[in-house]
Amino acid sequence: MHYLTEYILIAVGAAIINNFVLHYFVGICPFIGVSRRVDMAFGMGCAVTFVISIAALLSWTVTYYILRDGAPLTGVIIRAVTGDPKATLDLSILSYLVYIFVIASAVQLVEMYLRKFIPPLYKSFGVFLPLITTNCAILFACLLIFAKVVGAENPWGLGQSLTLAVFGGIGFTLAIVIMAGIREELDHCDVPAPLRGPAITLLIAGILALAFMGFAGVSGGLEKLLGAPQ
Amino acid sequence: MANNQPTALERFLRGILPENPLYRQVLGTCPSLAVTNNMKAAMTMAASVAFVLICANLMTSLIRNLLKPHLRILVFTLTIAAFVTIADSFLAAFLPEMSAELGPYIPLIIVNCIIICRCEVCASKQGLFASAADAVGQSVGYALALASIATVREILGMKTWFGLPVMPGSFPAWGIMILPPGAFITLGLLLGAANWAASARSKPSAKPS
Amino acid sequence: MTETKRQSGYFAQAWLVIALALGFSAALAGVDVALRDRIADNKRKATFGKIPELVPGATGGVAMEVDGYTVYRAMVGARQAGWVVRAAGQGYADRIELLVGLDARAETITGLAILDQKETPGLGDNIRTPEFRGRFAGKKTDRPLQPGSKTADNEIQAISGATISSGSVCTIINDAVAALREKLAAMAEPGL
Repeated sequence: MHYLTEYILIAVGAAIINNFVLHYFVGICPFIGVSRRVDMAFGMGCAVTFVISIAALLSWTVTYYILRDGAPLTGVIIRAVTGDPKATLDLSILSYLVYIFVIASAVQLVEMYLRKFIPPLYKSFGVFLPLITTNCAILFACLLIFAKVVGAENPWGLGQSLTLAVFGGIGFTLAIVIMAGIREELDHCDVPAPLRGPAITLLIAGILALAFMGFAGVSGGLEKLLGAPQ
Repeated sequence: MANNQPTALERFLRGILPENPLYRQVLGTCPSLAVTNNMKAAMTMAASVAFVLICANLMTSLIRNLLKPHLRILVFTLTIAAFVTIADSFLAAFLPEMSAELGPYIPLIIVNCIIICRCEVCASKQGLFASAADAVGQSVGYALALASIATVREILGMKTWFGLPVMPGSFPAWGIMILPPGAFITLGLLLGAANWAASARSKPSAKPS
Repeated sequence: MTETKRQSGYFAQAWLVIALALGFSAALAGVDVALRDRIADNKRKATFGKIPELVPGATGGVAMEVDGYTVYRAMVGARQAGWVVRAAGQGYADRIELLVGLDARAETITGLAILDQKETPGLGDNIRTPEFRGRFAGKKTDRPLQPGSKTADNEIQAISGATISSGSVCTIINDAVAALREKLAAMAEPGL
């Protein structure tokens, strides 16, 4: 029970309490741009969740085994090169370069896979698929994982990192689909001309954020309910 | 070289208001919501974006003849990531409280659409001076946009501006302004105001009401 | 013919990316070497710099691990002045990290500093204010603290509208004190 508690807290936290879009303000560009229809929004949400998971997997592995101070693989190499049994190499300065490379490669892989195996889906995405590379949410997930792995007392393992990434993506999907549902109804309304488009979307996002604020403090209650994580 | 590219001066002037990155192009919305609850953080972010944008534009302009179509976005992003790392390290070394407050939003400059867009639209096609002018103009425009949001949010939400109290003590602070809903609503209303101003200017003889 | 030309084109493009990656990595390594010490110093100051205000009169501290907690022996010159304990726990919105100053025998709280908190702005995050933190100074550690009246020995006046945040700070301090009180009193320099 205690083992699962931590995962439940991370999952609920990432998806609902600290929703990536409505609390951390990441992924706003596709949130505004792709939320006109529910089916497109859902597709974008799934694509982002998929890419976030792959990016988190790759970036955790690289951070844990290569980049951080005291990482196993670099440790072996630097000790072999310098002959000093206590030498360590801290490559964390390169983490941003590595993460963006990982994300670009993940998106490229997804693009190639879709083009080969599911061409109609690839066509319907159009230009939005390569734009997932510039989606703040993916890099943000990698940065959160970096903060929990480097210099933390109990560095996160692959399980926690993947939970954060997948449920962060699910939270993003949730927010964008809700917004798409509302905007489909908005088409029948008489929105004042200056507010049409991004402006009204942001105003509605503000009300959504207000609603999601009601979840603050749930993690404390969950922890009391499930027992503190070991 | 095509002669229908805008001149350096035009690039500079356009970036401030007519092609304002936030209000006209609606790019770079993530930091404009996240770090604008007070002016100090907003201006630090604006300065960081300016640094990265200018350096990235100059670098891209230098290597523009070596760029190949398929990998150019990757080249832009690598360049931007390097300069963002430098900016982040400088902030952590010399402004540690700001670095802690801005947190993960400095590295998020890497995926800030403004910089990739300017590299793609201007720096990969024009010389050093025009690219630099473009970068400076867009930075000034972005700084103005961030300042407008941060001013509203800080004055109404914390009754201060740059940390100095500016509102009478009896005014109840609108706490919602410092929280996420206040950010979204402020940006939405200001964006609507900018759209209205732009359309009013382009149609001086308005339709009879 | 076009196939090989395209392949060699990709290869040529990859060379630019690789060259840039290597060049930037070298530049970043240089920046890291230049600024690393300063950054580490700033991190140190975030905790060590607070010791003088947590244990009045202290000029420095020696860090150590006791029972999983990071504890600093606050020193005045070569003599011990008190203890500073680093503790963390769940607040209302997210984790709260704090430093609590104790006298040498761990019987009285001498100060409180909040290192990290993500409580509600305007309400819960008033736990950072000197006004709230000052309410802990002088409280004894023999009984657990709780939000309540201003005057009772083991009670702290909570922030209005932020009872959970105030209570969380008390809980975090209580847990740390309960775990470490006896050990720190035993580890204090003799004659204090």
